[in-house]
Amino acid sequence: MEVNLRIFRYNPEAGRNKPSYDNYTLEADPTDRVLDLLELVKSYHDGTLSFRRSCAHGVCGSDAMRINGRNYLACKVLVQDVGNNITVEPILGMQIIKDMIVDMEPFFESYRSISPFLVNDEIPEDGKERLQTIEQRERFDDTTKCILCAACTTSCPSFWSNDEFVGPATIVNAHRFIFDSRDTAPEKRLDILNEESGAWKCRTAFNCTQACPREIHVTQAIAEVKNALTTGRLD
Amino acid sequence: MTSLVDSFRTTMRGYLTYRGREGHLAFLLHRLTGLGTLLFLIIHIVDTSFVYFAPHLYAETIELYRSTPFMIGEIFLVFSVIYHGVNGVRIAVVDMWLPHKWTLTAQKNWTRWAVLITIVLWLPAAFIMFRSMLVHNFGFGG
Ligand code: HEM
Ligand code: SF4
Ligand code: FES
Repeated sequence: MEVNLRIFRYNPEAGRNKPSYDNYTLEADPTDRVLDLLELVKSYHDGTLSFRRSCAHGVCGSDAMRINGRNYLACKVLVQDVGNNITVEPILGMQIIKDMIVDMEPFFESYRSISPFLVNDEIPEDGKERLQTIEQRERFDDTTKCILCAACTTSCPSFWSNDEFVGPATIVNAHRFIFDSRDTAPEKRLDILNEESGAWKCRTAFNCTQACPREIHVTQAIAEVKNALTTGRLD
Repeated sequence: MTSLVDSFRTTMRGYLTYRGREGHLAFLLHRLTGLGTLLFLIIHIVDTSFVYFAPHLYAETIELYRSTPFMIGEIFLVFSVIYHGVNGVRIAVVDMWLPHKWTLTAQKNWTRWAVLITIVLWLPAAFIMFRSMLVHNFGFGG
């Protein structure tokens, strides 16, 4: 099938100082991924086209972009999912460095702020392992799947308006440890999420859940954090 | 931190072009109806205060409320208040008591129900107000 591909361009190094769009008509299979089309353009049409990708299999989280107005991983969305008129743009609300490449540092800074690692200085009872029941492990299973692609955070209306907002991804990763029975620092993370820039900025617009390539129940995780904040309960 | 102008641009671009679904549209409508109701309340407080501060203007403002554009506006106001209330209850109930209902299908259904309930509650009021406007402003029936 024939695909009309429209690509956002902003590349000061290649003399493109103003955002604009390039159009290509390409031959593609319905089961090609949008990432394949970008690779095709970069290899055969314009080597200056810039985008991040690493694993190409939905694992590393580097190629979140806006495709036909919605966030996807370019490596996980097929041409047949989006039709044959395809527009590719960088994710919204981040500083654009060039083409699809945005400055992810503020995103990771927010992520780091909630101590995204197990905090526990005590010696386990048997000196070796911290045991958990199946239910205790299940409690935070969903939020362990995050690959930090930022598709959720940059689909969020609250984040568009205020990039001080920690964003859904940070709350998801805080949830991962807040509800882990082995962790000893849930209050520290909850305090951060109770601040003005924390979980209360969530307006339940649901774009995050819709965008998450790992199908994490992002809005649910945020609601559970809000409930932990109001009730103080972590079960 | 991004400048206010940049944030505003990004926000508007997102509102207008991000291809969100039920949740996104429900959020936009909730914000719009909340701000619309707020605007009406502000206007209403000002005009009611005329009774005290400028009694001679009060009668005129009451007349204004009976004009056709205002009466149509009030029909939309009723929609706004009902939608904002029903949708607000939806958000509060799910967020506080049923977080596990924040799934793709359940939230789609809840949101559609909120719109449906809004329309069912709004139509009778809209009908009565519309009829009243036809009678008083256009001399129908009565
Ligand atoms: C019927 C009673 C009302 C209910 C149940 C209600 C409920 C809510 C809820 C739950 C929110 C938060 C939305 C969210 O977090 O996603 C909200 C926001 C808001 N409400 Fe109301 N509300 C009511 C009446 C009003 C009235 C009378 C006004 C106008 C004066 C108003 C103006 C607003 C505004 C401006 C917002 C902010 C919208 C936003 O952040 O997007 N509300 N309301
Ligand atoms: S929660 Fe999902 S959308 Fe958000 S950063 Fe993690 S994997 Fe990406
Ligand atoms: S390239 Fe690794 S997630 Fe898409």
